[in-house]
Amino acid sequence: MSTLAPKGPYWVTVRQYRRTLWLAAAAVAASLAVVGGLRIWDAQTPDRYYEDGQSFAAEDNRGYAALRLALDYGGMWLVLLPLLVGAFVAGPLVAREFESGTYKLSLTQSVSPTAWLRAKLLTTSVVALAATLVLMGIYRIGWGRVSDSYNFHWSERGPFEATGIVLFAHVLAAVAVGALVGQLIRRTLVAMAATGLVMGVTLLILGAFRWSFLAVNTVTGPAGPTLWTPENGLTMDSGLLTSSGARFDQSICWNEVHRAPGVDSMPDGGMKLFERCLAQHDVTSQYVDYHPQSHFWPTQLIETGILLTLAALAAFAAFRVLRARHP
Amino acid sequence: MTRDGIALEADLLGKKYGGSGRGWALRECGFTLPTGRVCALVGPNGAGKSTLLALAAGLLRPTEGTIEAPPREHLAYVAQDKPLHPRLTVADTLRMGRELNPGRWNDEAARRVIADTLDPGAVVRTLSGGQRTRVALALALGKRPELLLLDEPMADLDPLARHQLMGLLMADAAEHGTTVVMSSHILTELEGACDHLLLLHGGRIRLDGPVDELLAAHTLLTGPVADLAPHTVVESRTTGRQLTALIRREGPVEGPWETRDPSLEDLLLAHLRTTEGAPA
Repeated sequence: MSTLAPKGPYWVTVRQYRRTLWLAAAAVAASLAVVGGLRIWDAQTPDRYYEDGQSFAAEDNRGYAALRLALDYGGMWLVLLPLLVGAFVAGPLVAREFESGTYKLSLTQSVSPTAWLRAKLLTTSVVALAATLVLMGIYRIGWGRVSDSYNFHWSERGPFEATGIVLFAHVLAAVAVGALVGQLIRRTLVAMAATGLVMGVTLLILGAFRWSFLAVNTVTGPAGPTLWTPENGLTMDSGLLTSSGARFDQSICWNEVHRAPGVDSMPDGGMKLFERCLAQHDVTSQYVDYHPQSHFWPTQLIETGILLTLAALAAFAAFRVLRARHP
Repeated sequence: MTRDGIALEADLLGKKYGGSGRGWALRECGFTLPTGRVCALVGPNGAGKSTLLALAAGLLRPTEGTIEAPPREHLAYVAQDKPLHPRLTVADTLRMGRELNPGRWNDEAARRVIADTLDPGAVVRTLSGGQRTRVALALALGKRPELLLLDEPMADLDPLARHQLMGLLMADAAEHGTTVVMSSHILTELEGACDHLLLLHGGRIRLDGPVDELLAAHTLLTGPVADLAPHTVVESRTTGRQLTALIRREGPVEGPWETRDPSLEDLLLAHLRTTEGAPA
């Protein structure tokens, strides 16, 4: 037997969840087949070219459309992967031992309870991180083709997680939270649902606040022509400025136009009235608040740090609970 | 850690389960079990037998008091429901015993329990209750424990298998000087096999001691109704002018009574029927 083969409680964990491992490997292989296949299909139709030499996918390229769809769903599944991992740890891995009573067997062998739980969590972490890494690689195979097109901006939910490092931290946090919840709620299904909920809420909260970690950059320009967001940035806010540089609330003027008599019968829909109102309020320029693409990695690092802290706290609590209950 | 010559020792041991309205499962238990004994742990359902064994196995923390048992490497525990991983095969389950007990596992001892009655490739989930008991006992004996804790070990077995496994267990214990604590409410299962008795009732210990000493200390008498002082009456019944009583002797029995030595069953039943037990 090779020295790399798992031993002791690690062997038991791998043996117990052999079918889950095969299932995970099959899912990864299927993902690779789908993305690889779609890229080959997409390559069958040559791209068209603009006059300036830029290329774009042909309108009748159904392989490209399917690839975009697959990556859209694939990104969503990757984002939900931590929920799956957390539910597995909380339910089948931990809570079921207590629900079915097999902990009485496991915890009276020569290995300590700590070593027992550590083997379960380390094995799961290694497998889950490896699967995440491979799935992210597969995602990238497709993403290289569609990146920065509509719905696949670097800041989008899906591409943001799938092309950075936060997903690894989400997975680790899910393992730790699952270990804690599985012990607190010793019912397989309830523990799975609760962990999925906790990790889902974590995902939503971080998704909502991740663009508040760093201060936005701002550009200004004269009022009138559309001001584009520079540096392939993520637009957070845009609006008008008065000559003193104060931000102007456009709704003041929209309301004024709205109240004007006969606005509905005006040929320009009251646009002139609106512009006159802006002039009256001394509006001279406009601004855009945005996150440049260079904020990608700092944001990834901050989010990863938050999640690793959560993971460390949950893991610490999980082992404390175990030690408190089982001498 | 236990003292020399002592396999299991409890002092003012108590366990209260969480949740409102749930009382003490075990209260103020104290006993000392010397090594090498085969101890019967008896008592009615809900007496606290399983709780006491789980405490001894280190699966639970006592609410109060202490219990001193060998470390988990040196004891084996078979819970009442014989928990096993349902998806592993019999062979994998035994391999698990080896993996989780490095340096202690004895494959020979484990296989003797299985004794060609089970297909090693059979998945645990498909086994009958009796077959599961065999696998659980094989795991326990394969570990070569100093202290073997068995919670209702024979309940799922047919009489033939029970006889065979009990014989195997006793031979193994005798050969290696293993201390065995075995709970049961089947009295015949214990008579002849056990040399030590621990009687639990209502979470308290009612009787504790070597079987022969306990039996020798008690007398079953029948005769006319009269004052039985100075003896301690464990249980007495009167039918007309006839008295039947189990007493714990204080000195020789003198009087118009017919006396005989009680059987273990007489002793247990008498103590179980009375609420006030006297520790020996």
